[in-house]
Amino acid sequence: MNVKDAVCPFCGCLCDDIEVEIEGDRLVGVTNACELGATKFLGGERLKSPIRREGKAWKEISYDEAIRYAADMLLDAERPLLYGWSGTHGEAQCVGVHMAELVRGVIDNTSSVCHGPSVLAIQEVGHPGCTLGVVKNRADLLIYWGSNPIDAHPRHLSRYTCYAEGFFLENAFRDRKVVVVDVRKTQTANIADEFVRVRPGGDYAILSALRTIVRGKTDTIPRMVAGVTRDQLIRVADLCLNAKFGAVYFGLGLTMIPGKYKNIRNAIELVTELNRHTKFTISAMRGHYNVYGSNEVNTWMTGYPFAIDFSRGIAFYNPGETTAVDVLARKECDAALIVGSDPAAHFPRRCIEHLAEIPVVQLDPYPNATTAFCKVQIPVAVTGVDAEGTAYRMDGVPIRTRKVLSSDYLSDEEVLSRMYALMQEALKR
Amino acid sequence: MMRVNLTLKPMGSWSIPIEAESIIPANFLSGTDLTVWRGNRELGLEEAFSVSVVGGADRAEDVEIVLAGKTARLKRVGEYMDAGKITVLGDIGMHCGNFMTGGTIEIQGNADGWLGREMGGGSIICRGNAADYCASGYRGGRKGMTGGRVEVYGRVGDFLAENLAGGTVIVHGDAGDMPGAEMRGGTLIIHGDCTRPAANMKDGACYVYGTARWMLPTFRNLGTVRHEGRTLIQFTGDVANRGKGNLFVGNYEYLD
Repeated sequence: MNVKDAVCPFCGCLCDDIEVEIEGDRLVGVTNACELGATKFLGGERLKSPIRREGKAWKEISYDEAIRYAADMLLDAERPLLYGWSGTHGEAQCVGVHMAELVRGVIDNTSSVCHGPSVLAIQEVGHPGCTLGVVKNRADLLIYWGSNPIDAHPRHLSRYTCYAEGFFLENAFRDRKVVVVDVRKTQTANIADEFVRVRPGGDYAILSALRTIVRGKTDTIPRMVAGVTRDQLIRVADLCLNAKFGAVYFGLGLTMIPGKYKNIRNAIELVTELNRHTKFTISAMRGHYNVYGSNEVNTWMTGYPFAIDFSRGIAFYNPGETTAVDVLARKECDAALIVGSDPAAHFPRRCIEHLAEIPVVQLDPYPNATTAFCKVQIPVAVTGVDAEGTAYRMDGVPIRTRKVLSSDYLSDEEVLSRMYALMQEALKR
Repeated sequence: MMRVNLTLKPMGSWSIPIEAESIIPANFLSGTDLTVWRGNRELGLEEAFSVSVVGGADRAEDVEIVLAGKTARLKRVGEYMDAGKITVLGDIGMHCGNFMTGGTIEIQGNADGWLGREMGGGSIICRGNAADYCASGYRGGRKGMTGGRVEVYGRVGDFLAENLAGGTVIVHGDAGDMPGAEMRGGTLIIHGDCTRPAANMKDGACYVYGTARWMLPTFRNLGTVRHEGRTLIQFTGDVANRGKGNLFVGNYEYLD
């Protein structure tokens, strides 16, 4: 059996034109997806049932036991951390926020280690953004800054930018110009009309210089800025000023370098400056398929997009203090619930050391690096494969992922709802 | 004069931070029946501290609080303080002196992040080092510190005096990356070195007596000036931001 128009639950592109082939209870083929998406659909060896660490061995336990353990762990903690959330659907994220408020914990999602700085910059100077559809149909200049979509978001170029048909462009492929700014010559740099190679850490200076050139104050700029000649900067500024519609897409090459959110703020202010002359937009290349959704859910429920500390009963937000990396590195939590992410594979060593000292429960279909630090792991259905739910594309468009396969696994939402019900019951007593 | 001695009791193996915004001089005029928070648990002041009060006072100006013990994880001490004195014998945790409008805080050791965040008056003296966001604002806010004085004798971390809008900040050691970012008023003086000072500044004055590394290319060089016995190079900017601020540096290096 073939299922058409499935939604790929891998990256922020959230491609919704995937065709999957089902044989019995197995997914055997994937069409239209990129290699990353196809691998996610085809999956790997999943955990059969919840497991609990007993000494040096794992013991299989029931869902009831595992959920009870997690609920008790969170209720006992003085400052539990609820982290992850970007790899699950919005409905489960909602339950997570309710839970964090009930047990007065800290809830944070993976944007604190990817596009959190983008959010901070947007809070300072706003977000002149638009949907991917607008860019696809109108943009004649694309700037990929510190991002490498050919490797990380392989279908971004073909579905929404360089290689896509554009309604308002006669010959989209030829009419679109591409600028790539990066510290190394990436795959994406190979297709660029202008490749700007910046010295590591120099992006802020380049952005300030471009703003100054766009303002007509070129004489202030030295001949060389962070490895880039002033002449090339003038060329890039001219490309921007002569574009009918420009779109900047930036990645972690801009958010996770010195200066962090100040780089994004500078990029947004460049776009604002360019909007005095032509039409320009800027957006983040979001990683996880529903990290944007996690920011959305948190914002509508708590007022803040990530790093929310409920320990005083009200929402307090201060990235750098209430973000998961900081809470763990400073040993400021005494239990952790991990949902839909793998911090042990990505966090600094000091954070992992603290994870090893406190009780940790993880919800994830597969054994991963964080499994090694868990007391209990609860396998769940994969959203977009054997569970459905809402996810937000990188441009903020909500798309409902589809269930293409039946399985006995509970979804994140079902497991978390049962956990939440137990907590409510315990607190009533 | 009233002197309140608070010694933090050992708190077990975890380092869950204690939030103690109740520790300001004015609150002790009506006794020591105050609470602090450890994570999501509310504790009486005497559960967390050994408390002793010497003498009496009928106005906050005459109250001095002396904090001892392992206070490096004690947050929000002196928040909204308007008079009196707090002396910290060791290190202090984040957000010390948030929003303070008067009085003095003296820290003998190091201060953690957000020391004197959004302060409007009074003075903070830190004898050791201060971490990131010293004398800065809050996330997304347009104005950071608006008045008063912060003096740090050691080094400070990144984003010192971000969004500075008024008052004076003096650092005797080095500063980290982007001191005085977005500043729109006030005076920032760094005796040592730093990287990328006064990024995107609108107004105000920033002095770096040492070397400004990774100097931003968007400041216009106005030549040298004499300042308190030193020869400094004066810049104006940030031109990218239509800024009219003044940046004075002893030396500078572009990232070219």
